[in-house]
Amino acid sequence: MEKLLNVENLKMHYFTSKGAVRAIDDISFDLLVGETLGLVGESGCGKTSLATSILRMPSPPGRYVSGRIMVEGRDIIPLPEKEIRKNIRWEKISMVFQGAMNCLTPVYTIGKQMLETLNVHKEMPKPEAEALVKEYLGYVGLPPEIMGRYPHELSGGMKQRAVIATALFLKPSIVILDEPTTALDVIVQAQIISLLKKLKAQFNLSFIFITHDLALEAEVADRICVMYAGKIVELGLNGQIFGAQGPAHPYTERLLAATPRLFQKVEKLHFIPGTPPDLIEPPLGCRFNPRCNKAIPRCREEEPPLAEIEPGHMAACWLCNR
Amino acid sequence: MSSGDTKFKLSEFWNEFKKEKSGIVGLVILLLCLLVVIFEPLILPWKEANSKWRDINYWQDNPASAPPEWTNVFSKQKAPVTQRITKGKREEVELEGGAKMVTYTLDYNYTADKAPLDVIFHISGTGDIPLTVSIERPDGLQVELFQRFEQGLSNQDIRISVDNDGREAAFAFIKQYESELALEDYSSTSLRTGDILFSIAQTGMAKEFKPLKGTYKLIAQAMILDPANMDISDPYVVVTGSVSGILGTDDSKRDLASGLIAGMKWALMIGFLTSIVSVLIGVLYGIISAYFGGKVDSVMMFIYQIVNSIPVLPVLIVISAIFKPNIYTLILVMIIFFWTGSVMTVRSMALQIKEETYIEAAKALGATNRRIIFRHMVPLLIPYSFASMALSVPSAIVYESSVSLLGLGDATIVTWGQILHDAMQGAAVLKGLWWWVIPPGLAIAAMGMTFAFIGFSMDKILHPKLQTR
Amino acid sequence: MADVIVHIEGLKKYFEPHQSLIQSIGKSGPKKVIKAVDSISFDIVRGEIFGLIGESGSGKTTTGKLVMKLLDPTEGVIEFNNEDVTKLDKAGVIEYRRKVQMIFQDPYASMNPRFKIRDVLEEPLIIHKIGSSFDERQKLIIKALEEVKMMPAEEFMGRYPHMLSGGQRQRVATARTLILNPSLLVADEPVSMIDLSTRAEILAMMKDVQEDLGLSYLYITHDLSTARYFTDRIAVMYLGRIVEMGLADDIIDNPLHPYTQALIQAVPEPNAGNVGVVKELPIFGEIPSPANIPSGCRFHTRCPYAKPECENEAEPELMPAGNGHFHACRRWDQIKRAL
Repeated sequence: MEKLLNVENLKMHYFTSKGAVRAIDDISFDLLVGETLGLVGESGCGKTSLATSILRMPSPPGRYVSGRIMVEGRDIIPLPEKEIRKNIRWEKISMVFQGAMNCLTPVYTIGKQMLETLNVHKEMPKPEAEALVKEYLGYVGLPPEIMGRYPHELSGGMKQRAVIATALFLKPSIVILDEPTTALDVIVQAQIISLLKKLKAQFNLSFIFITHDLALEAEVADRICVMYAGKIVELGLNGQIFGAQGPAHPYTERLLAATPRLFQKVEKLHFIPGTPPDLIEPPLGCRFNPRCNKAIPRCREEEPPLAEIEPGHMAACWLCNR
Repeated sequence: MSSGDTKFKLSEFWNEFKKEKSGIVGLVILLLCLLVVIFEPLILPWKEANSKWRDINYWQDNPASAPPEWTNVFSKQKAPVTQRITKGKREEVELEGGAKMVTYTLDYNYTADKAPLDVIFHISGTGDIPLTVSIERPDGLQVELFQRFEQGLSNQDIRISVDNDGREAAFAFIKQYESELALEDYSSTSLRTGDILFSIAQTGMAKEFKPLKGTYKLIAQAMILDPANMDISDPYVVVTGSVSGILGTDDSKRDLASGLIAGMKWALMIGFLTSIVSVLIGVLYGIISAYFGGKVDSVMMFIYQIVNSIPVLPVLIVISAIFKPNIYTLILVMIIFFWTGSVMTVRSMALQIKEETYIEAAKALGATNRRIIFRHMVPLLIPYSFASMALSVPSAIVYESSVSLLGLGDATIVTWGQILHDAMQGAAVLKGLWWWVIPPGLAIAAMGMTFAFIGFSMDKILHPKLQTR
Repeated sequence: MADVIVHIEGLKKYFEPHQSLIQSIGKSGPKKVIKAVDSISFDIVRGEIFGLIGESGSGKTTTGKLVMKLLDPTEGVIEFNNEDVTKLDKAGVIEYRRKVQMIFQDPYASMNPRFKIRDVLEEPLIIHKIGSSFDERQKLIIKALEEVKMMPAEEFMGRYPHMLSGGQRQRVATARTLILNPSLLVADEPVSMIDLSTRAEILAMMKDVQEDLGLSYLYITHDLSTARYFTDRIAVMYLGRIVEMGLADDIIDNPLHPYTQALIQAVPEPNAGNVGVVKELPIFGEIPSPANIPSGCRFHTRCPYAKPECENEAEPELMPAGNGHFHACRRWDQIKRAL
């Protein structure tokens, strides 16, 4: 299949007074046309940093250290900001930021805020712009009157729909969704997920879907990319991760075990003791080794590479590498 | 809370405060100010500056509008420094009939390039004293300046200003060297005594002053007819230079350094009392209004708005007219109107804090309203309170001077505000009398800064989130 | 009759929008009343974990606050140990709060950021005058921290909340409630802010504590999957009403009310094979505003099975369906047959 986005050996570190925080440390993956890539991991593992890096807007003091981000065969890291704004950001890749629905300015109407976003990226006459906003509101299942409403008059689900519509304006091919349903109730979450699936088919979109909830990824993602401490530890197809065989990496395995299942009566929920490591001085060897119950001496000394263990399924673990 | 806890908390606080450089700077300045206040009697150049600030006689020997002494360092022509010479040599000559001639000689070492403005003799006398004052120049010439017969004295101060009382003698002296022509536009009223007495005696001295440097002997002589009942004693001479004191003088001849030092305690008190009390009231008012909300809030806001909308100055005038304005009533009145300054900000901050979950958590733990207000809400507002205090310290000082401007200030004390106000009245800026304006202005600013430094440092400590981990 | 620790009957909480002094003097139009909790009744048995499930706006948090006496009910009875606690005096409320404690959703927000962990834990002791000396309180604090496995306790005591991880904060928050030795804990979404990997750890810790100390919990959540694992009984709330109540397993395996059914279907499961499917939930739109509650059965506007009688006839009360299972749907039979 055609590759839309290709991230190669990307390193993005935050240079703080305490030292370089290796938020993204040598990450490679690609995104195919029409697929949803799920990005999972605990908070602080670098999911959001990766998303903003792909948009070429790492939040300060973050800087690219090495690697390439290929969008349609072109590396976007060396491109000037003007070019990025004109041709890449929002045009090719747009993003629904985490908590974006709570970041709507309370003093402006939804319509004004949506028009403003549109104006930043594209100049067009006002009536045309308004028509476009209304059209996209329709796509996300909102009536056009919403334009005149203030954020506080809308429910969380409606605001999130408006935010999603804003991300779609300029017909991007890639949409990054950073925890788009985290603050929402289950029913609204399910409604938004269904909406996203419909929109994806309708506009032939590719999603990068970021969440900490593996159960949600099982519903939306064609491929799952599990991150831990700034690295990819496992990358596999939905069926490979959630299928009968189960995930390969102990981290994914334990993350899945910690995910509660509604239709299974469990006596004891599993959890991963400890906290993710300090990214200024990550542990030697495999970064998961201090929390891993299967660690062997080699895990503490040598970092396992991300290697293919079966077609389309990669894992970074000495125990999985045959 | 036990005293052990409090001690522990305080030492912990102090340990963290020590790390804040600006806070330490502020604290040091504040301590210096306090030291100045404590040791004021020792360091005050004019000991009675406090009680006699408005007494013209007390300052009469000083030059008016004189720059500080240290300005000499920067000028080519050194100006004579105002000096007080007290060391006198007493000589007695017994005369027949029981009378005696008493002579006091005081040495003045003249080194400047300009003449002193005046030389003022002071001597205490008892009884009927015929007094002669003369000056012996380094070139040996002696000029008898003045004779006077003082009667019925009882250990009173006799003051003789050479510039005033020695005019005729000086005119006579210059006539010996200059022609009538040269002295045509010179008269005994327009000449300056100092320029003649301290000049090299030669033709042309009327046109150009050439200093005759060296030791001048200032002599006071009196015939004591009845030594049992009459005497002169304690002579001193003030050579009024054109520079004076550490900070110069104002146009009423007052020593500004004395004024500033004497004003320090009032500035601290006006600033401290007004700002602390009014901010405390305002903060508590704002918190209580926000915390209880509803009817309480409505009523309290109503009262606040009424007080806030009353113009302060007219009320101050009326109050000052009814009560004799002393500094404490002024402070009280300022507090009555100043507390509103912090209410609105505090209220809106408190409204926010009130919604915090930990306030609810404290309630759920059974905390009383008082505990929630004082333990959870007040500490959060301390940094703001300090900033607010720091801001209202100078405004309280300035306000006090505004009241003084209307003649309603406390006339028994000297404040920085009054000095500034006098400077404004005396058009100090227009006349270039910077030493009259800048020091009190700086003092007020430094006082505000001191509080701001301390406030910001406390802010950092009390906001642990700002600390880097 | 089981040993009931909390008995709630006909509990209502209506909120009226705030009016300023001027507004309240002048003539005011009809007030818009927000019916956050609209007549609910349930019992919590001693030693059980009772789950209150609902979306935001369902009134579950308000119910928790009413039980905590952080709010005063508009109407209704709350009995604690067979004693009416709705009309306690000040001292009574403080005494009550020693026995009933609360764990908040956001452990970080529930602690004063200026307090060190020691201060956080000392506060309840000071409020309730437990432990007369610094050392005595110190011992109690260490004991409570060890109870929630925060060790070494001495080291944690000197830290600020922002220096701890989410899980550690919730442990501290739990320790703060346990230090008073309560008999009922109200836990309002205690794990929703905590990372999935440690969520189970906190729930397990809370369950351990509950079993060790024989506590009862009122567990408020929107998350059915943790509720099933964590609770004994569940009440499902919708717009201020309980629409279904019963044993946790019964509710999830055999939901009777269409709202519960939708809620259960909405929960994502970590299984393969769902990606291609666009899930259609048996529910319409979003939850209406509690200021404007629909007539009749309040769920009829969103119910796919609604008939005119659901809108026009009186609201159904909770009806028993055996085995302690209650529901408030008049058409439950037909719906069950249709499925």
